[in-house]
Amino acid sequence: MNVSRKWPMKAWMTAYLFVLPSIAMTLLFEYFPMFDGIYHSFYRWDGANLESFIGFDNFVRIFQDPTFYVSLQNMLFFLVFGLILMFPTIVACIVLFRIKSSRLQYMYRVLFCVPMIVPGIVSLLIWKFMYNPQIGFFNQLLTFIGLDDYAQLWLGDPVLAKWCILLMGFPFIQTIAALIYLGGLQSVDSHIWDAADIDGAGPIKRMIHVELPLMKGQFKLNLIGVLAGTVTGYGTQLVLTNGGPGFSTLVPGLYMYQRAFGGKTEFGYASAVGLVLFVISLLISIIAFKYIRSDD
Amino acid sequence: MGKKWSVNETFKHSFIILVCIAMLYPLLLMVQMSVKDKKQIVFHFFSFNGPYHFVNYGKAWEKVAPMIWNSFVMSTGSALVGVLFAALAGYAFGKMKFPGRQILFWVLFAKMLLPGVMNFIPSFILALKLGLLDTYWVIILFAAAAAQPFWVFVIRTFVEQQPKELFESATIDGATELQTFWHVAAPLLKPMFTLMGINLFLGVWNDYIWPLVTIQSAEMRPLTIGLAFLTNGFPGDYGALMAGYVIASIPLLLLFVFGMRQFVAGLTGGAIKL
Repeated sequence: MNVSRKWPMKAWMTAYLFVLPSIAMTLLFEYFPMFDGIYHSFYRWDGANLESFIGFDNFVRIFQDPTFYVSLQNMLFFLVFGLILMFPTIVACIVLFRIKSSRLQYMYRVLFCVPMIVPGIVSLLIWKFMYNPQIGFFNQLLTFIGLDDYAQLWLGDPVLAKWCILLMGFPFIQTIAALIYLGGLQSVDSHIWDAADIDGAGPIKRMIHVELPLMKGQFKLNLIGVLAGTVTGYGTQLVLTNGGPGFSTLVPGLYMYQRAFGGKTEFGYASAVGLVLFVISLLISIIAFKYIRSDD
Repeated sequence: MGKKWSVNETFKHSFIILVCIAMLYPLLLMVQMSVKDKKQIVFHFFSFNGPYHFVNYGKAWEKVAPMIWNSFVMSTGSALVGVLFAALAGYAFGKMKFPGRQILFWVLFAKMLLPGVMNFIPSFILALKLGLLDTYWVIILFAAAAAQPFWVFVIRTFVEQQPKELFESATIDGATELQTFWHVAAPLLKPMFTLMGINLFLGVWNDYIWPLVTIQSAEMRPLTIGLAFLTNGFPGDYGALMAGYVIASIPLLLLFVFGMRQFVAGLTGGAIKL
């Protein structure tokens, strides 16, 4: 055979040895758990002893489970505000980019990156400390300006907890998103800015007609990050409130986590919740894939 | 006209400076708290005046140092294993031809599009059955594996873009495939490896949920978990706690100072986990 003469057996073997570790790892640690999770979502399963096939019972249970609906509502809450809170970063990037002195612009850009050198968990724990009802920043501040009557339990208050988690990112500059936007603005030919100047466009007009359209591609990329992160993510809620008080900050991912590791080890039910989330985020990634491709 | 320009410019600077202050204030608070004792925190929350209690740092260091070591081993291990495997596979997919190449590549590529949320619980069970719980390997192997699809894809694309003659001349000189990989491809791919390495390192360094369920003993805890549990280690002693947070931030600060360009590129190359 022609092919085998050109690419002898020995070369094939080398190639297989090169790809083997990567493929084997992916199959064992990525694909196997994924299919195992799908399989076990049709089981009553505690991970160790109990394992019995129950068909769609887990899914029927999920869609009758009021706690799951509460978690979905909370997810929608975080999703809606997550999308709105994408805009402070965009506005800040536009203002930063318009600064004339390139030296100062660079300095501010470095400052934007500083929060990233602090481990994510430290930022969360500091904010948790700021919400501390005894000696936290917010109640201390209220006392300091003589408004101690307004001191709150913050994260311990079922109505406030959700808002506290949102406020946590104040002023809502996402460093990675900011770097992506700035990269986008930078890659544009500088003639565009001159043209906008000659047209005499005001700052707001320029933002709407020049900068925002230029950032469209970067916006799509970050949008997908926000969507996927909010649908399946739960680290912040886990660290700050563990879903509480009550179920006021519970999100579906955290619900999955708690069902498996919150004392009851309902791995089968948790896997079913995972499968529901998997399908939702798969739909998002399919739509995203088409949407990103549509005009690039 | 000149005046109008400067008002405009002043506004921009003030806006950005205010944003930066708001962004960095929690960090300033952390540093400021880290040198206070209990009384100072309660009664002088917002003021800076001493005496400064650097003893907090001594107390915190004892507890935080082992966590930094654990995180360092886990992050470095993941980066090394991940980069090595992805580099070999990416090189083979990009340069070599063998039966099943397309299929194997698609197996990897497809995983990139499939969300990982489903994997979490079964991965834990798998780690349990393989006896990996409470070892460094449970972090290293799973993190390195999760990075394969994306980075094999990136490295393959890069290898394909290199001129064929480069590799062919090495083959003519009688180099084995491994030698060609090591002496010709690897130096070219070095920036890519750094990028991937930093990206993987940071991902593991910041990961919280996976080690939370797979690392059980206190001595094995990485920074993320250890810091979350540190509140129990210093009951009510927020000064020492904050000193611990400051110490925990130093390793990345060093990485940032010495490799800022790659660091920033590493951040944008993929999402941070938490």
